[in-house]
Amino acid sequence: MLTGSIAALFALLLAVLAVLVPLILIASRAESARRLAVALILIASFAGCVVAVSSFLRQPGPVLDLSRATPFPFSFAVDRLSAFFLLLVCSVAIPVTLFGASYFDLHYSEQRRNWTWAFLSLFLSSMIAVVTASTGFAFLAGWELMALVSAGLILIEGDSTERRHNVFIYLLMMHVGAAAVAACFFLFLPYSHGLDFRAIRAAGAIVPPGIRTAVFLFAFAGFGAKAGLIPLHLWLPRAHPIAPSPVSALMSGIMLKTAVYGFVRFAFDFLGGGPWWSGYAVLLVAAVTGLLGILYAIAENDLKRLLAYSSVENLGIIFLGLGTSLVFLAHHAPLGAALALVAALLHAFNHALFKSLLFLGAGAISNSTHSVDLNELGGLQRRMPLTGAAILVGCCSIAGLPLFNGFVSEWLTFRSFLAGSTLIDTKAQIVLPLMVGILALIGGLTAACFVKTFGVAFLGRPRSAGAEDAREVPLGMRAGLCLLAAGCVLIGIVPGLLLRPLVPLAQVLITGAGVPSETLSIARITPWTAAIVLGTSALVVLFKRRERMARTWACGLPELSSRMQYTSTVFSKPIRFVFARVYRPDRKVEQVPADQPYFPVSISYRSVRTTSYERALYRPFVDLIVSLALRLRRLQTGNIQVYLLYIFLALVSLLTFLRFQR
Amino acid sequence: MKITIDILQVLILIMAAPLVRGVIARLKARLQRRRGASVWRPYAELFKLLRKEELVPPTSSAVFRLAPVVLFGATICAAAFVPVMHASSLLGSQGDFFMLVYMLALGRFFLSLGALDGGSAFGGMGASREALVSSLAEAPFLLGLVALAVLAARADIAGMVAWTLGQNIFNISAVHILAFTSLAMVTLAETGRMPVDNPTTHLELTMIHEGMVLEYSGPSLALIEWASAIKLHAMLALLIALFCPWGMAASGSGWGMAAALLLYCAKIAVLAILLSVIESAVAKLRMYLVPDFLGVASAVSALAVIFTMWVKR
Amino acid sequence: MGLVGIATEKILSSFSVFLFLTILLLAVARRISTSVLLFGLQSAIIAAEVLATAFQEKLPQVYIVGALVFVIKVIAIPRAFFLLTRRLKTVRDVKASTTPTQSVFVAVAIIYLSYAAVHSYGGAVHVPDDPLAAAVSLILTGAFLMVSRKKALMQMLGLLVLENGIFLAALITTFGMPLVIEIGIFFDILMGLLLMGIFTFRISDTFEHLDVSKLRRLRG
Repeated sequence: MLTGSIAALFALLLAVLAVLVPLILIASRAESARRLAVALILIASFAGCVVAVSSFLRQPGPVLDLSRATPFPFSFAVDRLSAFFLLLVCSVAIPVTLFGASYFDLHYSEQRRNWTWAFLSLFLSSMIAVVTASTGFAFLAGWELMALVSAGLILIEGDSTERRHNVFIYLLMMHVGAAAVAACFFLFLPYSHGLDFRAIRAAGAIVPPGIRTAVFLFAFAGFGAKAGLIPLHLWLPRAHPIAPSPVSALMSGIMLKTAVYGFVRFAFDFLGGGPWWSGYAVLLVAAVTGLLGILYAIAENDLKRLLAYSSVENLGIIFLGLGTSLVFLAHHAPLGAALALVAALLHAFNHALFKSLLFLGAGAISNSTHSVDLNELGGLQRRMPLTGAAILVGCCSIAGLPLFNGFVSEWLTFRSFLAGSTLIDTKAQIVLPLMVGILALIGGLTAACFVKTFGVAFLGRPRSAGAEDAREVPLGMRAGLCLLAAGCVLIGIVPGLLLRPLVPLAQVLITGAGVPSETLSIARITPWTAAIVLGTSALVVLFKRRERMARTWACGLPELSSRMQYTSTVFSKPIRFVFARVYRPDRKVEQVPADQPYFPVSISYRSVRTTSYERALYRPFVDLIVSLALRLRRLQTGNIQVYLLYIFLALVSLLTFLRFQR
Repeated sequence: MKITIDILQVLILIMAAPLVRGVIARLKARLQRRRGASVWRPYAELFKLLRKEELVPPTSSAVFRLAPVVLFGATICAAAFVPVMHASSLLGSQGDFFMLVYMLALGRFFLSLGALDGGSAFGGMGASREALVSSLAEAPFLLGLVALAVLAARADIAGMVAWTLGQNIFNISAVHILAFTSLAMVTLAETGRMPVDNPTTHLELTMIHEGMVLEYSGPSLALIEWASAIKLHAMLALLIALFCPWGMAASGSGWGMAAALLLYCAKIAVLAILLSVIESAVAKLRMYLVPDFLGVASAVSALAVIFTMWVKR
Repeated sequence: MGLVGIATEKILSSFSVFLFLTILLLAVARRISTSVLLFGLQSAIIAAEVLATAFQEKLPQVYIVGALVFVIKVIAIPRAFFLLTRRLKTVRDVKASTTPTQSVFVAVAIIYLSYAAVHSYGGAVHVPDDPLAAAVSLILTGAFLMVSRKKALMQMLGLLVLENGIFLAALITTFGMPLVIEIGIFFDILMGLLLMGIFTFRISDTFEHLDVSKLRRLRG
């Protein structure tokens, strides 16, 4: 009976999000209609969390079959993997909706607000559809809907040539990825006679090795494009910064994780691990993604672009865990594979939490100061204490510091690398421990990047009038931020909450895995470390003496102004200098007038950073396609007789083909 | 019984840290043909600072006041991972050396934030340079520890110490030599000693750590100075425990512990002499040569990891 | 076995580690004098190894070879280099074309490559892995030094390091060649150094610098 009611709840929540809320918002412009819609979204998300947790505890989960109403098989099923990602989607959706309720009230006009909430509801329903789909058609439908609706949300925010160009690139790359994903499904078609996930899973055992390799490559390319792995990441720093902050939070926090879900579903559930080289290929791409992502993030001064590049880097870390798991699978070591998979999935959840927190924080900052340029912020902690505290929690989490959730997943990833030294294969014995160095470098650079972000934005003196006049944000925004911050700290101190369900999930996906002892040992030790650090801090704070306000010392310099502080550009200069080969900026110094070098009227300095792949990889590729298209244009002569000739030729070749097929 | 010993180890690391600093300062003074201050001077300085009132810049926020506290707490927690006289530590568990490195990173993160909160250029300069050095120093630190972990087939520091105790002291292992080289270089970088940073200077051109603490005074400054002394002591103790642990007490007997403690003091003295010689003999590296220094450390530790495959000694 | 016996055994089993350290340090060295000192250290380690082999295999003529190595490579040649540097009054910088970080990673790759190559020979040649890998690494490092350092003096040093490697390889596989051949090789080296020294003086006189990358008139 309980299963029946859970299934009903699931059907209801999908119906509410996909159909009811948009209808309400389109039908009426009233304030109360919007409040009702927001409340419905919150209730539906909460219901989603309930469905996820109960499906996890009691398998088999609810199944929703809508095939009678649609031309192709269309059904949803919540198994353990889907339940985990459903929990991810819904638990992040709640704080983001709370935040968005105040945010959109303050920033949008009536009509835009309604459209935004309608699209947002559709967006959530499409993401839930993707992670709970159990037929190929449902999956692809949700996949495409996600891209379209998010593009719509971006365009609601504003319209200009540049925005349209960025949205165009975004949709283009999403469609290319979707084509690759569709190819994956269709490659299974001859063996599974239908695209139901159960059939595909059964077919996965009998598929020949060549097809397996092709499926793996297409899945990696398709889901990698959606996840923003280098070199297919070009759309991420274009699309995420221009969306409104709650939407960016959803895109970065949840949408990227659906790509992780898809990859895990294909590589682990359907294929049971790729070919022997698959793990190393994934590790290589992930390492490059992580390093370059954080290097580009450090160089950014725009807060939202910085966070977008940081998402690229974190997806790299997730795929490092997935690649390690594939290596272990290829060497028939299920325990290590389970550990690495748990690490990757936990990092996906953690990233969803702290990245959405940081994007919502960027929204709060832009709400109060009307700017997201780090060089114009400063001194916000005194003016927005609660927001600052929540964002500080987010920065510490993303830097992977202990007591926060980012550390637990990075620790597990490190342990899985270390476990690689127990494999027999010499390649794995060298590559996996050396990956510790790469992840350590990525982690170190992330910490540096977020010291810069929080320090320049929130600490010191305000660098502009906007920052000086900042006020604390309204209750709804604060609630959303604090919920996410609380989640980060909770999982950081008591990671067992998520680790205990993740281990059986890994055991389902990887046959023959026991319980990795590392998951237990970290859950045991984190409360103690938290106790020591917090206890010492509390003791010290209790004994603090009195303090007196006095001018900043700064070696006795008088009249300090906000311009004498370190800016974001300068802070990252040493790191940018060391890694100059990666950045290769185009620098131009222009002086007016040019013929009188000693009496300049003005000197301007321009530094443009185009990522090197745009020049080396994409430009030639795009030029090739454009030239091919121009050549194909010759087929369109405009002469009707030529078109009739084409039809005639098509008929003739079809008949010849039929003749020679026998 | 084990808990008592472990707590005693942590207390030794915390309480004796200013003494280690005082000894190194005095040795350096002697090498530079000065008389040098007494070895108990850092204790006097801590007492003095703890009694003073604290001056806080008006533009600073709660982070400025929180930073020294978190730094101190995190450093104590890191010290709880290091064995001193007995092959065990208070928070010893599988995979604890990752925790140690990241606990130190937590302290550094908050110290950099506190520096930026002062609102002056010195704090920013110190924080920016510290960001460069620390982001590059984490990789060789972890790789060196991983090389030792792979060699010992154990994932906790106490386990590695126990494995090393079972080895013959005269069997020079390539992995250990390479790991020691890189970990020694990392220690110099992390604790802000020459040639990476000059701990005695107060010129803005040459300071990294000193730049970050410029705005602090009174008890906060005492906490920061004490925390950096504990960090130095803990890292020296870590080097000793990983590379020369012979003499550690196997059982919990009182005489065994006392003997182990004496031997530990002798080893720390040797390291202090080595450190003061290096600090007096080498000039500080230019800022943009420090990445080369740490790059060499990374390469050496990567080689140590590679060697674990062939040289299982 | 006695203290000397224990010492020789330790030397024979673990000297290759120190050779690897000198290789890494040579990759990072930025002054000519440091490189020469490292070469002297390397030769001293090899001399110790020669003497240890002589003691263990009980071959008296190898003692003479060891003494020759010590006198010529540890004392005479570095002395000659220092004299040369002083007479030429050149800038002390080594003028590397790769940064220290890149050089040291190349050195790590060289060491890994030599180990991998030696490992695959395995039991074919009955010698322990470490010293042979050290010898191959020295050869490759000498070649790398010649390629990446632009000072003419560093070309000479690279050649000497290369010769060190060949000597070590010969020593390991044959436990000391006949004395006559050893002496012949030494004289060859001395002749070569003398010639190189003379040419370096001529180059410095004619061109006023010793930067090899600028000597490009030898073109078709």
